[in-house]
Amino acid sequence: MENYTKFKLKRKEELTPFLEDKDNLFILACNKCFKEFEIGDEPECSNLEQLAKEQGKTVVGSAKIDFLCNETLTSKLLQSIVPEEAEDIFVISCGLGIQTVAEQLENPVYAASDTISVDGQHGMALTTTLCDACGQCYLNLTGGICPIVDCAKSLLNGQCGGAKDGKCEVDKNKDCAWEKIYNKMESLGRLDELLAQQVEVRDYSKINHKFINQYVTSVRESRFEGYYGGVHPSEKKEFSENIDLVSFPEPRTVVIPLSQHAGAPADLIVEVGQTVKVGQKLAEANGFVSSPIHSSVSGTVVAVEPRLHPIQGIKTMAVVIQSDGENSIHESVKPAKDLNDITRDEIIELIREKGIVGMGGAGFPTSVKLKAPQKVHTVLLNGCECEPMLTADHKLMTTYPEEIIFGMKTLIKGSGAEKGVIVIEDNKHDAIEILEAKTADIPNIEVAVVKTKYPQGAEKMLVKRMLGVEIPSGGFPTDVGALVANVSTAKAVSDAMQTGMPLVERIVSVTGERIKNPGNYLVKNGTSVKDIIEHCGGVKGDDTTIKLGGPMMGFEVRDLNVPVIKSTNGVIAVETKVSEAVECIKCGRCVDVCPMELKPLYYTKYAPAENWEGMKEQNVMDCIECGSCSYICSSKIPIVDRIKIGKKAIREGK
Amino acid sequence: MLITQLKSKETIESLAKGKTFIVNCHGCKEVYFAEHEAEELQKELSETNDITQIVTTDYICHPDNLALQLKKHMDKIKDADTVIVFSCGVGIQTVAKYLDDKRVYSGCDTFPLPGFQGVTPLQVDCAQCGECYLNYTGGICPITSCSKSLVNGQCGGAKDGMCEVDKEMECGWERIYRKLEKLNKLDTLKYEPKVRNYWHPDAEQTDAE
Repeated sequence: MENYTKFKLKRKEELTPFLEDKDNLFILACNKCFKEFEIGDEPECSNLEQLAKEQGKTVVGSAKIDFLCNETLTSKLLQSIVPEEAEDIFVISCGLGIQTVAEQLENPVYAASDTISVDGQHGMALTTTLCDACGQCYLNLTGGICPIVDCAKSLLNGQCGGAKDGKCEVDKNKDCAWEKIYNKMESLGRLDELLAQQVEVRDYSKINHKFINQYVTSVRESRFEGYYGGVHPSEKKEFSENIDLVSFPEPRTVVIPLSQHAGAPADLIVEVGQTVKVGQKLAEANGFVSSPIHSSVSGTVVAVEPRLHPIQGIKTMAVVIQSDGENSIHESVKPAKDLNDITRDEIIELIREKGIVGMGGAGFPTSVKLKAPQKVHTVLLNGCECEPMLTADHKLMTTYPEEIIFGMKTLIKGSGAEKGVIVIEDNKHDAIEILEAKTADIPNIEVAVVKTKYPQGAEKMLVKRMLGVEIPSGGFPTDVGALVANVSTAKAVSDAMQTGMPLVERIVSVTGERIKNPGNYLVKNGTSVKDIIEHCGGVKGDDTTIKLGGPMMGFEVRDLNVPVIKSTNGVIAVETKVSEAVECIKCGRCVDVCPMELKPLYYTKYAPAENWEGMKEQNVMDCIECGSCSYICSSKIPIVDRIKIGKKAIREGK
Repeated sequence: MLITQLKSKETIESLAKGKTFIVNCHGCKEVYFAEHEAEELQKELSETNDITQIVTTDYICHPDNLALQLKKHMDKIKDADTVIVFSCGVGIQTVAKYLDDKRVYSGCDTFPLPGFQGVTPLQVDCAQCGECYLNYTGGICPITSCSKSLVNGQCGGAKDGMCEVDKEMECGWERIYRKLEKLNKLDTLKYEPKVRNYWHPDAEQTDAE
């Protein structure tokens, strides 16, 4: 592995005279990038401290920082670490880090290091292959060997004549690039092509300031859109976005787990052999953070036994019901009071009784959010659906706009908020159009259109984007006066109010490039994933992975005999990804994409070393497991898996 | 940091001779890759040329990863006359090395963006000159902020603070002057001109003499 560290401390002879008229130094050192990641001390910082002290200078402090040129993180850090008595700031980093610090601080900022020059740029693996980014790729003419970086003279029209025994005259350790090109073209049978081709003169105007500036601006805009970090995975919504929502055929048997939500599993209140009806309560909420479970079919309870849970991956208690196909509705299912007459407490109680939990994935009981002691001023309805492929929320918004708005009104009343905002990503034009039209006359409900960026739908990002405030570490949206709910949850609230039906069915997108017939289905809780995939024609190819949820955060399932639960928004069949994790090279990408502004690279080291203290220090509990770091990792390290291991250990008190 | 731009459609069409296998690299898509344009172009190409397979993967600049990602497609690759790679120059060279006996072509041109680590390009640039001038210039780089990379002050061609080469660009030396003025360090400019000697890590030994 090459070490592409980009700087080294300036020589003593240069630094000594320069330090003469400086004092009260603060030293900032970058922890370097593009080298094998090792947690340990970089010696250059102390070398400079030593040198300054030898000259009788006062060093008021020093700090070693990861990725010093990351302006967002560095500027936050600088505010807290540079002491007031610091006069001259010395920076050990490449030119980017020094300039970044110089822009941020009022003090004079000096370079204590020189940037090492390399002919060309390396890739995201530390090999010797380089690219000079000349803007007019010559590789098509030279058999894939670059004459710009591999020839010491960057010649474009063949050998200079100075090479001896195939070695370059400038550097005898190097092979003559043009000799390599000749041999390669000969072996490819393309020699005539090489010799006959016209010289393509290098056009230096191809790389110009305006062109680069334009890209810098556009990439930075999309990177900083709304909040720091995030990624733009290929959306791949086209498989199912234009397919109308239909009801999934009546399942013959449903398997309804007692744990479909955050918090304690529900307490069973039915027995084997008992007949139940649609909407009948099967299990009672067990504690404050819990939720009741209802039957999605009418029929007979045939078993209460441990069954494989779709998310937890282990067997948990579930009620198995044989449907009679009648769909008889239970007598408890009847409309609630009119929205004008119902009180806030009654709304909260209704939402709890009807088993409504967050349907975006986490399954947090909605009534608990509504009961939060903090004053809530805004309800944010999350219609972003930022996960690639999934179209369930999209279809919900175009099919049930009235219900969503009614649910929103109920949530506004139930939370005591003043207004509501339905947030939709700009790739769902029809949903935006419909909801904008339907809310036009409602003074306290608006539709906000946001640019697509993953994980826009994470509640912390949503709050930051819409309200411009950060939720404190370990906090909830209600801490900053916001209630965040998924659009599907709003629809469930509307059903509970208008028909009295508890949360027993939801929309599931069945999609991915490997599913034969993608679609969007209204699926009863407890329907088997296996039946769903079979109904959709099965999968194409044997190297297929099935996930519940989207490609970024979904859970892979190997055994398809698992049921759809309240939070299952998608069943996707995708090509199995093959990858082998290699060592972290400090490319800095995970840090750049982490929307929680964490440094995921540390977790890749700390988890295997079982350094739970280190993980805590790096705020692992703030991670929202969005998967952006794993997605971007150039070393293919399953970072989120390692984070989950660390979080579990910390939760267990290790 | 490297970004890519598609070569012209005519160029790519002329490269796709015989059975053609296409590899797209999305590793640096977050920085920039013309994903949708490439998809459109390849769709059109499939109608006129014999495209046997399109594989989209990431980080093909990593030789082991490249081998792993191409493994299940090797039959089609062996059968192909041409492989066209849509990636930066590093990726194309890595594929050309791996598929040593194939005609490997580049569908893209590669351009530089300022910034080394992460995926966000920076507004400041470093030319890796190896002899940092920032000590004399208030932390503004004369190599990258001046179109002429002058190291001893303004050329005299700037008008109203704007560069004569590009009127939308501020004169780097005027920025340096203002910054030093603000820091009350204008006397820094009295340093002896330090001629750029194109220092190179390979030349380290001679440098230390």
